[in-house]
Amino acid sequence: MHWENLPLVLFFSIVPAASVVALYALGIRLLTASGRTPIVAPLEFTDAIAIVTPEEILKNEKRARQAAKKSPLSQAQKNAAYVAAWLCFVSSGAVVLLGIWLILPISHK
Amino acid sequence: MVLVIALALFFDFTNGFHDTANAMATPIATGAMKPKVAVALAAVLNLIGAFLSTEVAKTISGGIIREGHDGISVGPEMIFAGLIGAIVWNMATWLFGLPSSSSHALFGGLIGAALVGAGFGAIDVNVLLAKVIIPALFAPLVAGIAAFAATRIAYGITRRYDGKPDGRDGFRRAQIFSSGLVALAHGTNDAQKTMGIITLTLIAVGAQAPKTGPQFWVIVACAIAIALGTYMGGWRIIRTIGTGLTEVKPAQGFAAETSTAATILASSHVGFALSTTQVASGSVIGSGLGRRGSKVRWKTVRHIVTGWLLTLPASAAVGAIAAVIALLGAPGVFLNAVLGGGVLLAMYLVSRRKPVNHLNVSEVAESAAAVKIKKNPKPKRKVASSKGAK
Repeated sequence: MHWENLPLVLFFSIVPAASVVALYALGIRLLTASGRTPIVAPLEFTDAIAIVTPEEILKNEKRARQAAKKSPLSQAQKNAAYVAAWLCFVSSGAVVLLGIWLILPISHK
Repeated sequence: MVLVIALALFFDFTNGFHDTANAMATPIATGAMKPKVAVALAAVLNLIGAFLSTEVAKTISGGIIREGHDGISVGPEMIFAGLIGAIVWNMATWLFGLPSSSSHALFGGLIGAALVGAGFGAIDVNVLLAKVIIPALFAPLVAGIAAFAATRIAYGITRRYDGKPDGRDGFRRAQIFSSGLVALAHGTNDAQKTMGIITLTLIAVGAQAPKTGPQFWVIVACAIAIALGTYMGGWRIIRTIGTGLTEVKPAQGFAAETSTAATILASSHVGFALSTTQVASGSVIGSGLGRRGSKVRWKTVRHIVTGWLLTLPASAAVGAIAAVIALLGAPGVFLNAVLGGGVLLAMYLVSRRKPVNHLNVSEVAESAAAVKIKKNPKPKRKVASSKGAK
């Protein structure tokens, strides 16, 4: 039996998943710091839990704008945070693409 | 042989039909994607995923059923009987909205039929243990741990102690990609199981050399079958996984999907023929536990685990019964086909009494309304800065 495959699967499941999520979450944090808090409403209310009324969405957008105004960061710092946020998103995507590439037989030739 | 291949492709179709929820339950539940779009995306990515790897197919065709010097001891009629067992169990669990494992149904059916048709010697217990049984126990646990950690990380990084917007809505966008990744991963593991069965049949009738991988036409046929099945949807299962397990939020959904995809892809790479349904469920539970104030409905978890535990023996029993009938020869195979078809038709007619499709999937809202929603506790900074300052 190839027992060595078990720790391999353990490692390559937890580490990439945690990395992708951490990078994306960091991107969101930086995006919020840059004053561009993402407000993404559910596309369709299929679930009672997910219901957000249009008023709530407007309220959230207003809160985000107010929070951005009160930010202690300078405009240059906000711009840097925005660029860093996108770097995080791109890195997150790159980890996913690397993972897919590694399982392709062509990558082992 | 033609009948077995046709039935295997039908199984592949039911697999896609049954497992759509693995990828798409959480993004539908959080509103990241419209149900119809989600299902279409899952179908396309399952199709692509089926072309990415063949390790799992090799596990099925060249591992579980022992190959002797003169080929495989199990004939196509026994593989046919095994498939009948798998399909009947798959459709029964679909009808009752019970997340079962299509893969384990397939293994169960095949093992039951092989035991009746060729005895205990036909099964390679080592391969069964190493590539099916242990991954079945191990993979959902790994996915759960990964999802737990990822959820903690996602919430930890984005948590705001000052009450300002945390931007976690942004995870809803990420879910489009992560659920797509799960669909892709599903294609890499589940489509291959049917490829393995067809390859096994081709080897059994001498149309292909033993210990070889699936032929290209087999890959194409299986990819199309699973994609079509996925597109036809599995709304009943979506209803159970999407809201039945826990109150899924976008950050949590993203963490769960990423963990599911990582676990399936890593497992596919080493040839583990695991159950993608079990991995998805493990991730959803793990991510639920990773959230503060979240409450997993253990009653539903018990319901799901019972389905898992029943799958292998139940489908093995149906496979074994079908194999006993198949021992009659050609009339037996015909009788199997008629009986299997009859059972499936009866199930279909019963399911028509309460059809579920993309137009009334909001039944989810109905069931979710009964859920007691526990509000997230306000985050408290652990440092004693305020006390220390005074």
